[in-house]
Amino acid sequence: MSDMDMPNTGLAPVEPVDDINTPGFWEKNESLFLGFGFIALVIIIWQLVPSVFTLSKGMKLFFATPTMIVGAFGDLIASGKLWPALQFSASAFGLGLGLSIIVALPLGVVMGRSQVLSDMFDPFITAINATPRLVFLPLILIWFGIGMWSVVVVVFIGALFPLLINTYEGVKNADKLLINVVKSYGANEWEINKLVVIPNSLPFIIAGLRLAIGRAVLGVVVAEFFGGSSNGVGVIMVRASGSFQVDVVFAGLILFMAMSLILTGIVRSIEARFSRWRPQQTKSF
Amino acid sequence: MEEEVGKLTFWQTWRRLIIGGIAVILFFLVWEALLTWFIPLNKFVISKPSLIFLGIARDMESGILWRDLLVSGRPLLFGFGAAVLIGIPVGVVMGWRERVGYSLDPLLTALYASPLVAVAPLVIIFFGVGVAGKAILIFVLCVFPFVFNSLAGVRSVDPLLINTVRSFGGKEMDLYRIVIVPTVLPFVIAGARYAIGRGLIGVLVGEFFAASEGVGYRIAWYGDMYVLDRMFGYILVMMVVAILFTEGIRWAERTAFPWRVGM
Amino acid sequence: MADYIKAENINLTFTPPNRRPVTALQDFNLSVDEGEFVSIVGPSGCGKSTFLNVLLGLIPPNTGVMSINGKTVSGPGQDRAMVFQEFGLLPWRTVMDNVGLGQELRGVSKAERRDASQKFIEMVGLAGFENHYPHELSGGMKQRVGIARALVSDPDVLLMDEPFAALDAQTRDIMQAELLRIWQEAKKTVLFVTHQIEEAVYLSDRVIVMTKRPGRTKKLIDIPLARPRDYEMRVTPEFNDLKLQIWNELKDEIDSQGGPVND
Repeated sequence: MSDMDMPNTGLAPVEPVDDINTPGFWEKNESLFLGFGFIALVIIIWQLVPSVFTLSKGMKLFFATPTMIVGAFGDLIASGKLWPALQFSASAFGLGLGLSIIVALPLGVVMGRSQVLSDMFDPFITAINATPRLVFLPLILIWFGIGMWSVVVVVFIGALFPLLINTYEGVKNADKLLINVVKSYGANEWEINKLVVIPNSLPFIIAGLRLAIGRAVLGVVVAEFFGGSSNGVGVIMVRASGSFQVDVVFAGLILFMAMSLILTGIVRSIEARFSRWRPQQTKSF
Repeated sequence: MEEEVGKLTFWQTWRRLIIGGIAVILFFLVWEALLTWFIPLNKFVISKPSLIFLGIARDMESGILWRDLLVSGRPLLFGFGAAVLIGIPVGVVMGWRERVGYSLDPLLTALYASPLVAVAPLVIIFFGVGVAGKAILIFVLCVFPFVFNSLAGVRSVDPLLINTVRSFGGKEMDLYRIVIVPTVLPFVIAGARYAIGRGLIGVLVGEFFAASEGVGYRIAWYGDMYVLDRMFGYILVMMVVAILFTEGIRWAERTAFPWRVGM
Repeated sequence: MADYIKAENINLTFTPPNRRPVTALQDFNLSVDEGEFVSIVGPSGCGKSTFLNVLLGLIPPNTGVMSINGKTVSGPGQDRAMVFQEFGLLPWRTVMDNVGLGQELRGVSKAERRDASQKFIEMVGLAGFENHYPHELSGGMKQRVGIARALVSDPDVLLMDEPFAALDAQTRDIMQAELLRIWQEAKKTVLFVTHQIEEAVYLSDRVIVMTKRPGRTKKLIDIPLARPRDYEMRVTPEFNDLKLQIWNELKDEIDSQGGPVND
């Protein structure tokens, strides 16, 4: 598990040799090859299963091979159904996310700077954060009706909390020492925020954004699924699963997955750029 | 002799709880006051705390609340349990054998990033509307935090500690007992905290889609019939359950693993 | 007894995956008398810590013989114990349970372990901290635990791998004096690795200077200063002569090396 390996069993001391052990192209990128290779393998096996095994009638209904999924995708695009649905889902996503940013950032900063305020809001944030958003959906449907706003609200709630909590943590975390240093040079509250608090919080906020995006995508799916609207990719999916069109369902799933991965990937690279000054931290949940 | 960590005053330890508690009580009071004296109460759109709590009491009395909790809890137990039994070993193997980790990681990450709730209808249709279908759905949602956290836990085992135990004569079994399990355990418990949240989502999704009983079902049912006070009541119950689980695990983490300060 | 610890023509080469082979030790020879306090000084990366690990029995050499009291070293044993630079304390165990690690692995009963551990906890000056966790202790205290743990199993040889490098200067001075006090009381043979020349001269009977990698013994320097040593000795001309002697040997090894190298 450590870097030290078992020594050679040769008798003479080994002279450093140039080519033998310097890592080559395959070794250096081993993890990538293994990872994507595995995914490719799974896809291939998945594709071949119906040809190799004879499936029962019931299973056949459910077994959508990769080619079928791609086909379904193509059909959706060709039939012109995908684009408006995508627009709908994407706008709900954007609106909800945008609103959550507008609310979370200032609130997070204020909470971060005031201990009393954060203590006051704390139980509410903990409570709503711990609760699955889905539980509010029936209520949201009653209040906002079926349509885009319900979806937006669900997205908003989902995205709000990671952003809020992370902003708050980032602000709270601002090094008191640095604040004192800047104060000693005569900075006022605004300048303190500009010079110390905001740069320090940026990595946290962006990490929060990354989490928020994941939750926002989930929010779109969940809200559209359970009757939050009559438009959107999620609606296409739920109708398809009602009529056993498994390939369409999977196509939608992959679409959402791709959206989620791409967006979080973009945010991750932005995150990396803004975190260059920070020492490496072990990542886990 | 060097210093010990200083002890906190009464106010410092209890401050958060007290201020928070006051905020919550204030919230309910204002809510009640607003809808009693200032804004006409439209029973089809909203409710107020007194009615809500009354509703909860009635649902408890009639037994319906307990029954719903039980019905919702069973698949949760099975799904979550399966996630623990399968997720942890998978994560451990992935962390232990580097190559296995590399192979599985991208696929699992992609799956984790997908809105798996979308397959809920398929799962329910395929496996039935009973406990099995819901349990499997919950399993699919719950398993990932366990896998990823066990993986992280194994990867974080400190080689220095391994060397230390070996230097005092420790054998393979000793390494597991003394170093590896204590290192991985906090990660797994933290994973449980995430998993339970996703599990609750699974319960609700399953019940919104196809059920005749259960907390999720009941919320939707009350919603359909516009019985707002009972609906709010159930939502509140659900929130309490979620908080108990999540904060309970957090508390367990803090007491059982005091050395993980700042993690 | 002369040649109590004897290393003859030790050769050790590592082949880390995807990198060039590294020869850590080449024709390394060393001899230590019983009851001596010997320091090993050398540039970063010269293999001094590696040698300790060989002596400890965690790494077998490619060629050469490593023996203690005439017996060849073939794995960790009760006759040797190590004190680590980064302490290596198990964060989830109290001081008492950390100190008792060696004995626990050897199957000593809990009661006996407790008594023995208690004795050494007091000897290193940590009475009253038996039930504290490592994260509640300062660096110096943690290292005292490390020393107590090493002494409890009553080893014949104490190996110390830059044990005070992670401590601040004042704590380090205190710990050095404490170490000498404990050593006089416990009467062990000590092999002490450091790259602080002053520390080496202050503590030892003899100082071994190693070459840069691949490591070999370059020069043996006797430290004929009287015992017990006190702080004032550090400012005497004899002391500084010895320091200069060692520095002259050492500086050739450092000149020809670039930046930091992993040890």
